[in-house]
Amino acid sequence: MNIFTLSFLFMRFGCVSFGGGYVLVPLIIAELIEKRGLLTLSQFGNLISIAQVTPGPVGINTATYVGYLHSGVSGGILASIGLIIPSLVIGTLAVTFINRWKDSIAVKGVMQGVRPAALGLLFFAVFQFLGMSVFTTPIPWKNIFQTLTGAGSGIPADFRLSIGGLVICCVSILLMWKTKISTTLLIILSAVAGALICR
Amino acid sequence: MKVDSSYWKKLWILFFTFAKIAALVVGGGYAILPVVEETFAKKYKWLTSDELLDMMGLVQTIPGIIACNSAVYIGMKIAGIGGVLAAAFGVCLPSVVIILIIAAFFPHLNPSDPWLLGAFTGVRACITGLIILTALRMAGKVLKGWFAILIALGVFALVMAGISPVYAVLGAMPLGIVYACWKRAADKRIREAGGIQK
Repeated sequence: MNIFTLSFLFMRFGCVSFGGGYVLVPLIIAELIEKRGLLTLSQFGNLISIAQVTPGPVGINTATYVGYLHSGVSGGILASIGLIIPSLVIGTLAVTFINRWKDSIAVKGVMQGVRPAALGLLFFAVFQFLGMSVFTTPIPWKNIFQTLTGAGSGIPADFRLSIGGLVICCVSILLMWKTKISTTLLIILSAVAGALICR
Repeated sequence: MKVDSSYWKKLWILFFTFAKIAALVVGGGYAILPVVEETFAKKYKWLTSDELLDMMGLVQTIPGIIACNSAVYIGMKIAGIGGVLAAAFGVCLPSVVIILIIAAFFPHLNPSDPWLLGAFTGVRACITGLIILTALRMAGKVLKGWFAILIALGVFALVMAGISPVYAVLGAMPLGIVYACWKRAADKRIREAGGIQK
């Protein structure tokens, strides 16, 4: 398989990855590992853990890594470019469409639905992030619900409050709310604090 | 086409901000929102909070990496096609460079190094705080009227129950159109009923 086929394959992934980069994981397992044998499952596991701990969008990290394993630096670059081309085209068309018809009742209505929906998603994201920082594992809603109704097996033992995470989270909120600190500085300070107290 | 220096400055700010986001922010799509809000809405005032929420909803419904879709949306709003390319290039460059360096020089990098994991937990905790703040600020602006509250709660509940955000946002769109049509008709009735007094 040559490098342009790989890039094209990632372009196809880009067209169908609704909901962000994490959707790439099952796609890559099905297409690149099982169907084409480009890399092994253990290579891929290593890759995902690196893509998740390094900064930047997980999807682009993954594409770059797979492309690099397949055909070096140019492979990494072309796979990433392939992945984002559908975004560029579809996103540009969507914004153009919305700008052109922004005074129509259809676009206005769509936006009136989208704004509160986006807010709902944002609150969902808050709980997801809490499970990755202030708590040690994703919040086990099912177990909590079952325990409340008296039917459950209790809350899993590895679900604990991370004191370091809680402190950093609260201090960040206070600093951002009460001072004019820049988010960049705040993120760097949190990384240092995390390395010191979240081990 | 006349291109003045402020256009290039916009492209540079788009590129630089998104590169900064990609280089610093761990945790995917939603994590970029606080930095985007700080830069484009508060500092330069090129976008409103409403437009950022539109972006949040739309980037979920079109395919592709969320951070990249957001870059495309903001780039297009601020500076057209040039802005799209500048912002998208900014989003990709740091990731591609960082991953290529890791892949080329540290093929056996241990991603479970406690210092490294601690640092990333710290960043995620900070981002959690920033997202909470952003969510509360946005809630104050968006939750006006029963319809907005209903949709926000509904989408939150559906996604919590495991429904894909794509379907949740797509479902909110026709409801929004129905509400907008109903509201327009209701307003018209009110105007007609009490038209002369106003």
